[in-house]
Amino acid sequence: MAQSSLAIIGTNRLAEELLEMSRTKGFQAALFPDAERATASASMVIETCAGPEETKKRFIQKLDGPSRPSVILTSCLGFTASHIASWTERPERVVGFATFYPLKDRKMIELTGGLRTPEGPLQEAEGFFRALGKETARVKDSPGLVFPRILSLIINEAVRSLDEGVAGAEEIDVAMRLGTNYPSGPLRWADQIGLDEVLAVLEGLERESGDDRYRPAPLLRKMVRGRWQGEKSGKGFYQYKG
Amino acid sequence: MTTNPSLIGIVGAGTMGAGIAQVSAQAGWDTVVYDISQEFVDQGLSRIRGFLQKGRERGKLSAEEERKILSRLHGSVKLEGLQDASLVIEAALEKLDLKREIFHQLDSICDPTTLLATNTSSLSVTAIAGATKNPQRVLGMHFFNPPPLMALVEVIRADRTSPAAMEKAVAITRRLGKTPVCVQDTPGFIVNRIARPFYNEALRILGEGQVSVESVDRIMKDAGGFPMGPFELMDLIGIDINFAVTESLYLSFFHDPRFRPSPIQQRMVLAGELGRKTGRGFYTYGAK
Repeated sequence: MAQSSLAIIGTNRLAEELLEMSRTKGFQAALFPDAERATASASMVIETCAGPEETKKRFIQKLDGPSRPSVILTSCLGFTASHIASWTERPERVVGFATFYPLKDRKMIELTGGLRTPEGPLQEAEGFFRALGKETARVKDSPGLVFPRILSLIINEAVRSLDEGVAGAEEIDVAMRLGTNYPSGPLRWADQIGLDEVLAVLEGLERESGDDRYRPAPLLRKMVRGRWQGEKSGKGFYQYKG
Repeated sequence: MTTNPSLIGIVGAGTMGAGIAQVSAQAGWDTVVYDISQEFVDQGLSRIRGFLQKGRERGKLSAEEERKILSRLHGSVKLEGLQDASLVIEAALEKLDLKREIFHQLDSICDPTTLLATNTSSLSVTAIAGATKNPQRVLGMHFFNPPPLMALVEVIRADRTSPAAMEKAVAITRRLGKTPVCVQDTPGFIVNRIARPFYNEALRILGEGQVSVESVDRIMKDAGGFPMGPFELMDLIGIDINFAVTESLYLSFFHDPRFRPSPIQQRMVLAGELGRKTGRGFYTYGAK
């Protein structure tokens, strides 16, 4: 499917990276900040918005228009694929994926179908990521799937510790790298991913499960609302130039 | 009473105690290792000898260095053997009453300027310091297993630890060749607390069904870039040890659901499926 057309929707860094990566691999790809005109001729749409719900819902519903794509690959960081599919008239086309920026560091991408997604669209989605040089894994439909879910909880605990004064940001990151061999300290990692994406996963898990263990750290919410969202906004737990 | 600035005392000759003693002797300190019986002391010292011998065989240290390190190591079955030390690091069993008793005794045996540190990973340093008359010189120095190889030491400030004691402990940690990180005395400190979800959420996901142990491990390595998956790491650490840390945090945070242990893990502990050391955990190993 190396020549098929691809519409990527979103304004985040993952969308930009997906565009570049798919063009390099020979796809006819275009990036749309909004879902408005995205459906023109695309056979596959990749919708990358993690939230808020109204925005994502509006994007997904725009894709229900007359020239509908055959597959809607949607970020299920903050919602289950089944939940996202419920916003459209044809839920069978919806496939969820969950990963974090930067894509270049990800050897594998996780996918899930919604309750009503048949085999076909899932295979198409797998074929797309394989064409980008990624392995895929199918997992159970849940906000954030496996890796973003586990990492978001680690980050949440790091933010709580920081906010409670257990230690400073650098101390926390140094301790986690040396004490556990994680590839990055959790706060530095959160800055790279974008704090809004991490918050979306936590809010999604809290909403779906009703379990208090997913309650986001108050400081994380404050920083997202204050637009200190990490590298992309010049400030997160650390200061960035530019 | 005066202290000998080049002497470090270690309480407990188990895995952590012996490991810390080795770090201390390797960094040039005279080191006295205390345990309750000669047998335990000898076991600890022979563990160090074995570790050093392997290092020499791999060319990491010379026979001369090995001899010097061993000449700095001494055993004692009397706590009084530590009385001249400028720093005592306690690495006894993780039992609060026991540690409090040890600190109560060290408090009167050692000079008031001697730093008294506990290597506890799960108990409150403040609670241990409460057994002494001079809590301002009591703090935590939490080494990671195995101490000779792990660079990190969490230096833990209890409620009444003095700034001078913290500074001194940080400086000594650096001279031991380790990286100190200062932490307030809170349950699990930094690493054991923040790492909990790596294990607990993986267990939660496993319990939700439709995903295998192998699959979660592979995703965390290939999608996440972690060097090991959570289940293979739990098998390496020991399911019982990992469960004990989780349970301790859960109790310390008064049943906060963020730290709720997993029934899957508890079941494995009760069944004796403890990971690599028993030949069976989330995976099966060798012919055991």
